[in-house]
Amino acid sequence: MSLRLQPVRVETGSGDEDGRLVFRDDALIALLVRLSDNHDADSGKWFLEAGFGCVAQERNPLFEDLEQAQAWFATR
Amino acid sequence: MTQISLSPSPLVRKMEGFGSLSEVDRSVLENLGTSTETVPAHSDLVREDERPRGILLVLEGMAFRYKMRANGSRQIMAYLVPGDMGDLDVGLLDRMDHGIGTFSACKVAWIRSDALASIRENHPEVARAIRMSTLVDEATLREWLLNVGCRVAIERLAHLFSELLLRLQVVGLASENSYTLPISQGELADTTGMSAVHVNRSLMELRRRGLIQFSGKTLSILDVPALKALAEFKPNYLHLGERRAA
Repeated sequence: MSLRLQPVRVETGSGDEDGRLVFRDDALIALLVRLSDNHDADSGKWFLEAGFGCVAQERNPLFEDLEQAQAWFATR
Repeated sequence: MTQISLSPSPLVRKMEGFGSLSEVDRSVLENLGTSTETVPAHSDLVREDERPRGILLVLEGMAFRYKMRANGSRQIMAYLVPGDMGDLDVGLLDRMDHGIGTFSACKVAWIRSDALASIRENHPEVARAIRMSTLVDEATLREWLLNVGCRVAIERLAHLFSELLLRLQVVGLASENSYTLPISQGELADTTGMSAVHVNRSLMELRRRGLIQFSGKTLSILDVPALKALAEFKPNYLHLGERRAA
């Protein structure tokens, strides 16, 4: 099982555009978006914009960096 | 906007929104809120599974009903603004099935069930108004379910802000287009079933469209008709009758 992150530009309707498609093996499991400077203390963190299947959450989490996000995916 | 009542009691102001009251009725309602306590912000007035303490009446500040999951996720399902009461028949319950917390410091009164029962028996107009307020609470919950289930992010916030404007105007705590909103983005998220990130983005979008503006805790609605139109806000569920049918 391997995780792969692919850069993507996301049209969120806000300044948050820098995204990563997250693949586990060949399957898309999530979309992460880096929060822009408009989010005060959370600026720069990575937001689970969408999670599919076993990474779906009722309130999507924030990660300090991509390493922390990948560690979280590895536990799901 | 015509002021409905000059009573300093938010409960009287609210109940007069449902129909006219006599001087005696007004004084009965005013006396319900004489034994008060002040509770700090971000504290519990009522906890789930505890025995009910009495009927809660909020006189100042803002509180909310909520339920929590074991993982800490919280859904806020009602706001209590001055003049609002908790469940009238709470005395029938052994244990509370939800909690009530405070957004801001609140001045509240606890009304004994037998005291309220006696008032309802002896003052039919007060009884009618109190029953109306319960129907409105139930109708508001239905409206909030629709909000969370059938509206997108900015519409949910637009609807909430439109509703609060009207409810706070009734009790004399909002101007034509602004009021104090002592609620964080995380609390708005728990109210509208969204993440705090989506709340922040939606607030930015509402500002970008020139619909709202925050100055500290004061929310100004810059274009009330446009905000209401965005939310498809239809105030019929608040049952304010002719007084505020706009």
